[in-house]
Amino acid sequence: MLLTGADAVPAAGTLAQQLAIAAAVGASSGAIGAFVVLKRMALVGDALSHVALPGIALALAYGLDPLWGIVVSLLLAAGLVWWLQDQTGLPVDALVGLLFTASLAVGILLIPDAEILESLFGAFPALSAPELAITLGSALAALGVTFAFARRFLLRVLSEDLARVAGAGRGYDLLLLVVFCGVVALGIKLVGTLLMGALTIIPASIARNVAGGMRAYMMGSAACGAAVAVAGTALAAWWSLRPGPTIILLGVVVFVFSLPFAARAGK
Amino acid sequence: MRVLEVRDLTVRLGGETLLDDVTFTVDRATILAVVGPNGAGKTTLFKALLGLVPYTGHVAWAPGARVVYVPQRFTVPAAMPLTVTEFFLLASPRFWLPDRQFVAHLTHELDLLGLPPHVLDRPVGVLSSGQLQRLLVSWALLEHPDVVLFDEPTASVDAGFGQTVYAIMRRICRERGATVLLISHDLNVVSTCADRVLCLNRRLLCTGPPAETLTPAALERLFGPVGVHGHAAGAGHAADRG
Repeated sequence: MLLTGADAVPAAGTLAQQLAIAAAVGASSGAIGAFVVLKRMALVGDALSHVALPGIALALAYGLDPLWGIVVSLLLAAGLVWWLQDQTGLPVDALVGLLFTASLAVGILLIPDAEILESLFGAFPALSAPELAITLGSALAALGVTFAFARRFLLRVLSEDLARVAGAGRGYDLLLLVVFCGVVALGIKLVGTLLMGALTIIPASIARNVAGGMRAYMMGSAACGAAVAVAGTALAAWWSLRPGPTIILLGVVVFVFSLPFAARAGK
Repeated sequence: MRVLEVRDLTVRLGGETLLDDVTFTVDRATILAVVGPNGAGKTTLFKALLGLVPYTGHVAWAPGARVVYVPQRFTVPAAMPLTVTEFFLLASPRFWLPDRQFVAHLTHELDLLGLPPHVLDRPVGVLSSGQLQRLLVSWALLEHPDVVLFDEPTASVDAGFGQTVYAIMRRICRERGATVLLISHDLNVVSTCADRVLCLNRRLLCTGPPAETLTPAALERLFGPVGVHGHAAGAGHAADRG
């Protein structure tokens, strides 16, 4: 089913509001995605975003804004993954896969049909000024935290022992996971639960093909996330498409064009 | 002045006792070598001193002592987007905004360890294991630590670099007053380089100046009658899971 035409797209905020959200959420997704890719947690984003579905369902059942259901369920999931990893020593992706793919099924069964498409593929609801400020502020805060703690996050990617001796303990894994969940919660509004994982890994994959160093990689990933989200949102508005799939497909196209750079660098 | 005090240190992992009731002290500006057969708990001792494994007993560093660690094995995936300069910046709080002096200082530090300045712009992941080991030693010494823990620092490098590392150890110890804890299988190096030696085989078997401590009888007790020959032949190459 191709979702085109005004009927398929829910009531949205102004284009300026949409573009501002896309830029902020795209940049923070790109920045945290840089570490998600390095830590080989790419599929964790997919599974985590599915955890949001039961949260959305419960929020709707109690007449709350779905965002609160998303935030609470993701933060609980992050804490649970972090704790279980310490207890069992299993890789994060195995734990997330084990625990949370069932959330998709539970969520689909619980969410009313009218809300399913929006939950799965995202939509830009019209936001009040305070809601917009909270969304933009949270996205920029996630971006700031990612850059501020990049050195410690990277130490933990390179060597657990070196990182701990340098003062970067396991708490930084939790911080990264919490920021990741926060960004996923914000991005679900933008591209939906099914596609949010892709919004964190596509910009980082493009940047990794092009960049030689860590600082270029991180800044490139954040810039690429913002650019793809803004351009995708604008194209979706222009052609009356759903923004989520448009953003992700545009990202994939840019990724394909970045491949020759990786081949040239022998990566 | 004492820089480290260890009392009744015991490490049990997975139901196995890896270190049993180890007690010793380390004075400032000394080189202490830890020797023992494979699986003796040497690396476990370092990890316990650094708080990387759970232990019982008492480990106390001098207040404010800056301790760094050069692990035995360190690899970086070839595709990791990280240049040598950025790797050094991980040791500095100014990761995003390095000053010019820092980068100039790096060229000097690399030169000391026999690495050419052009590697600064290369990805860390493409360096050979020997170059990576040199880089790691250089990285650890960059911010002038008070204590350096070297776990087999010359296991993957050529003999020439081995001599360089031991010369650097002696220099930071004599000139900067740094303390060095060293794990080595090379008993010749231990004899000439270390001020004190600690013989470990899960328990502390002997400790003291190398000339007085590493007697044939003590070595036989530590490595066994076959082990002495095995270690002499394979000095510096043996893999250690301790």
